[in-house]
Amino acid sequence: MAEEKLLLLKNIRQQGYGGDYASYKKTGGGAAFKKALTGMTPAEVIETVKESGLRGRGGAGFPCGVKWSFMPKDLPGPDQKPHYLVCNADEAEPGTLKDHVLMLGDPHMFIEGMMIGCYAMRSTHGYIYIRGESPHAIRRVQAAIDELYKAKLLGKNILGSGVQLDLTVHPGAGAYICGEETAMLDSLEGKRGLPRSKPPFPAQSGFNACPTTVNNVETLANIPFILTEGPKAFAAFGSENNTGTQAVSISGHVEKPGVYEMDMGHNLKSILEDFAGGVRGGKKLKALIPGGASAPVMRADEIDVPYDFDSLMKAGTMRGSAAIMVFDEDTDMVEVANRTIRFFNHESCGQCTPCREGTFWIKNMIRQFGDDAGDEALLSLVHRAAGNIIGTTICAFGDAVGGALQGFVQKFPEDFRNHFQS
Amino acid sequence: MPTFYLDDQPIEFEQGETVLKAVLRFGVQIPHYCYHPGLAITAQCRQCLVEVTDMGNGRGMPKLQTACSTPASEGMKLSATSEKALWGQELVNEFLLINHPLDCPICDQAGECDLQDFAFAYGTGKSEMAFEKRVYGWRDVGTFIALERNRCIQCSRCERFSRDIVGSHDFGAFLRSHELTFDTWEDSPITHKFQGNLADICPVGCITNRDWRFKKRAWKFRKVESVCPSCSTGCNITLEHHQNRVFRIRPRENQEVNRWWMCDEGRVGFKPLNDRHTRLGEPQVRVKGRFQTAQWGAVMEAIAMRLKEIGAREKQVIALTDTHATNEEMFMLRRLLADGFGSQGVFFPLIVGKQQEKPTHPLEDDFIFTLITTDKSPNTEGAKRGDLIGDRDDKRLKAALKESPKVVIVLGAPFQQNSEIRAAVAKAELIVYIGAFANAWSEAADVVLPGYTYAEKYGTWINKAGRLQRIQPALNPPEQARDQVWILSALLGAPENGESFADGRAVLEAMAAQGGDFAGIGGEQIGHLGLQLKKAAKERKK
Ligand SMILES: Cc1cc2nc3c(=O)[nH]c(=O)nc-3n(C[C@H](O)[C@H](O)[C@H](O)COP(=O)(O)O)c2cc1C
Ligand code: SF4
Ligand code: SF4
Ligand code: FES
Repeated sequence: MAEEKLLLLKNIRQQGYGGDYASYKKTGGGAAFKKALTGMTPAEVIETVKESGLRGRGGAGFPCGVKWSFMPKDLPGPDQKPHYLVCNADEAEPGTLKDHVLMLGDPHMFIEGMMIGCYAMRSTHGYIYIRGESPHAIRRVQAAIDELYKAKLLGKNILGSGVQLDLTVHPGAGAYICGEETAMLDSLEGKRGLPRSKPPFPAQSGFNACPTTVNNVETLANIPFILTEGPKAFAAFGSENNTGTQAVSISGHVEKPGVYEMDMGHNLKSILEDFAGGVRGGKKLKALIPGGASAPVMRADEIDVPYDFDSLMKAGTMRGSAAIMVFDEDTDMVEVANRTIRFFNHESCGQCTPCREGTFWIKNMIRQFGDDAGDEALLSLVHRAAGNIIGTTICAFGDAVGGALQGFVQKFPEDFRNHFQS
Repeated sequence: MPTFYLDDQPIEFEQGETVLKAVLRFGVQIPHYCYHPGLAITAQCRQCLVEVTDMGNGRGMPKLQTACSTPASEGMKLSATSEKALWGQELVNEFLLINHPLDCPICDQAGECDLQDFAFAYGTGKSEMAFEKRVYGWRDVGTFIALERNRCIQCSRCERFSRDIVGSHDFGAFLRSHELTFDTWEDSPITHKFQGNLADICPVGCITNRDWRFKKRAWKFRKVESVCPSCSTGCNITLEHHQNRVFRIRPRENQEVNRWWMCDEGRVGFKPLNDRHTRLGEPQVRVKGRFQTAQWGAVMEAIAMRLKEIGAREKQVIALTDTHATNEEMFMLRRLLADGFGSQGVFFPLIVGKQQEKPTHPLEDDFIFTLITTDKSPNTEGAKRGDLIGDRDDKRLKAALKESPKVVIVLGAPFQQNSEIRAAVAKAELIVYIGAFANAWSEAADVVLPGYTYAEKYGTWINKAGRLQRIQPALNPPEQARDQVWILSALLGAPENGESFADGRAVLEAMAAQGGDFAGIGGEQIGHLGLQLKKAAKERKK
């Protein structure tokens, strides 16, 4: 097995690590927040994060420091709107498990990152939006926050600095789409979670129409390291433009499914073989979805690529939330397509015409293949309908469905042909 | 003014405006459904996709953008007709139709349906969808509207209206994905007073007007601009009629008065127009206690003779008018009394209108609730400004009646409910009634002169805010009915020889010549949207 590079999981990988604040402190935890609060201006924190090259781990890979710098610089005074940092802990992308590992195993790490983020963006109130189906994660994170209040690291006048910060855990209401950042803000506000049309962007008008930044759990978990060890030490991991390490979730037909941490840009084939122990039962690899259900599928012969945002984009798919799903040679890709479109059809919020109607239509067409009643015209219709959802909707969900479905048809037409009407 | 370019056409815009808003004002059509100028922008139907080839900085945008949500910027270049833009518009149309029932032949919206129009203009005309469509039943959801959810295109206009404009929160989204549907909670009925607007803003036949359900095809209607007579707000309306019957009243946009909206009470304000039972069709004279129909010439002669016999002057002659009368009628009535009899006694019932409805939930902008007033007539303000006599409790009228007037001229239906006034008037020697409909006054009158309804004549009213607005004829009146202003000028011709006016427009000219509030005002100045009079009145007082 290949060595893990441990930055995010360094505590979790230690035998007997408890994850409580005392344990976290023993490993040097808390120093980064103290450093920011007592020795750095908010602008310096943002600059440091920019320098590290850290890209968002929630899916889109947007540079974190740049995102933070979009927030209004002025201090929110009495007549100005408050600023908010919202942590996206919805983790609903099929195949993705890494945020849960971080939240359950070492909650204080990402919370510290969040506290630093709040300080940098002059937010006095942060929300952690955790999917409602994960009561254990909600309890765990809430317990960690309670510890911080007890230690007077949250609340009023933290460490005598005059800084105030409150964190609130908000249980999600059970929709995949609430992981999309603007839908999440609607949901936080107590409304139906519907992605918003942008502009305005959340940094101008987000939660309760106030300046807001949304960051993924893993993104925030990187922040303490960047502050204590410096942005250069962080950028030493990974590759240029894809810095740091990454927590990758591997599932499906592999020997050792799980979450592994490695450099950004680690070879995808090596991830499968060296970390996950290869395909289960000595079978051959047929296909692999590299970045959650939203990412277009790859054929076995395509996976000898660096696993990072840019390389996978170049390969016509995406790293997304770093969830690799592996399918062995016995898999019928029509079944995978069927399962995928059923998921997306079920989870579309229904606002956009192409996404609402397209997922319904494509689901019916794929089902027809399942009934062995497909034909060439239907196959090209699936491809066309999927293409019509790409780039025509409010949120990236549309691009994801369209891309994923086109991927199945393009990469595995023979599987569909096996289901043609005879 | 800053300018952007749509398919090379320069279009001016105001700072902060979206592309679609500026384009629609300019007069070019980009297909759209969810966008409504009076509602929050959600950009969800995706029908208005355009290609941005230059954001004003030399760079284009890779994805198609929705014109309704894209802020216009200086030098921006867009195309709504490029291959890519048309691809976007076509595919949205195709997706919208896969679950649509295509039941236009039995849909009330047909002929004025955005989906129908845009599908013809921008769609491909074919469907490759070969699966069962989603199906719902239909039902009435309020006293005023019916819901046929199969036709819904999920644009959410209805939800935004209910939430942001009325604050009723009683109509909104349920479920998601292709099951997303707009409805009321557990079949509860909508009870607010603005339901008809939902039928107006629904771009398809999902929410329709119950009142004219299946009564008429939309393209049969002739439409005439008018003003709602049902309260002192004077919402701008179109009277929609066919074969001399009005079928529907719909609001006409006027940002100064009613924006895009009107209330349901106003929408049914046309019902009396179609009432053939109480409509007066011919002049009638009471002979030995019984009414006899007569020719106009004979009637006018008879009135002249009676007036001479009675010889009443000044306080012995009074007139009563309701505040449905136009300014022109009030003007003629005053002139008749003054010039004909030396009397100033023209009385109207003064009603101090108040806002009638209150929102049930807090609203950022409760404008729509300011529409309905408790003064259910359109021209109280005109009567006040026309120096007619009206006071609370009708004290001055009661005092005038104590003087036992011998001649009373009644226009319309004033003071009808007041038995004290009715009894006092009944003692007069001659009661002349002028109006379109039979009522207690026509029953009590000695002479009944049939006039026009507000849908048959020209005229002006002044709303509660001092805005002068005009009404116009839509329907043909009964053959023997006459315009009230003509009748009044003919009556003036009876005692003396006066000027004869064919219709309200001619009277307005005379009023304009006379000065005061109306100085220099003609139909052109009033225009489609009316004219604010407040200033003129202030200047006059100075
Ligand atoms: C349909 C959809 C679902 C998403 N779900 C998640 C999610 O579960 N967790 C997450 O962190 N980001 C999710 N995202 C990405 C977020 O919108 C957002 O980009 C991210 O939280 C930003 O954080 P980052 O910059 O730290 O990556 C989703 C995006 C889309 C379009
Ligand atoms: S793309 Fe789909 S999920 Fe996203 S806003 Fe539109 S309908 Fe909702
Ligand atoms: S009922 Fe009409 S207004 Fe409401 S969402 Fe459907 S189509 Fe739009
Ligand atoms: S009108 Fe622009 S998206 Fe609906």
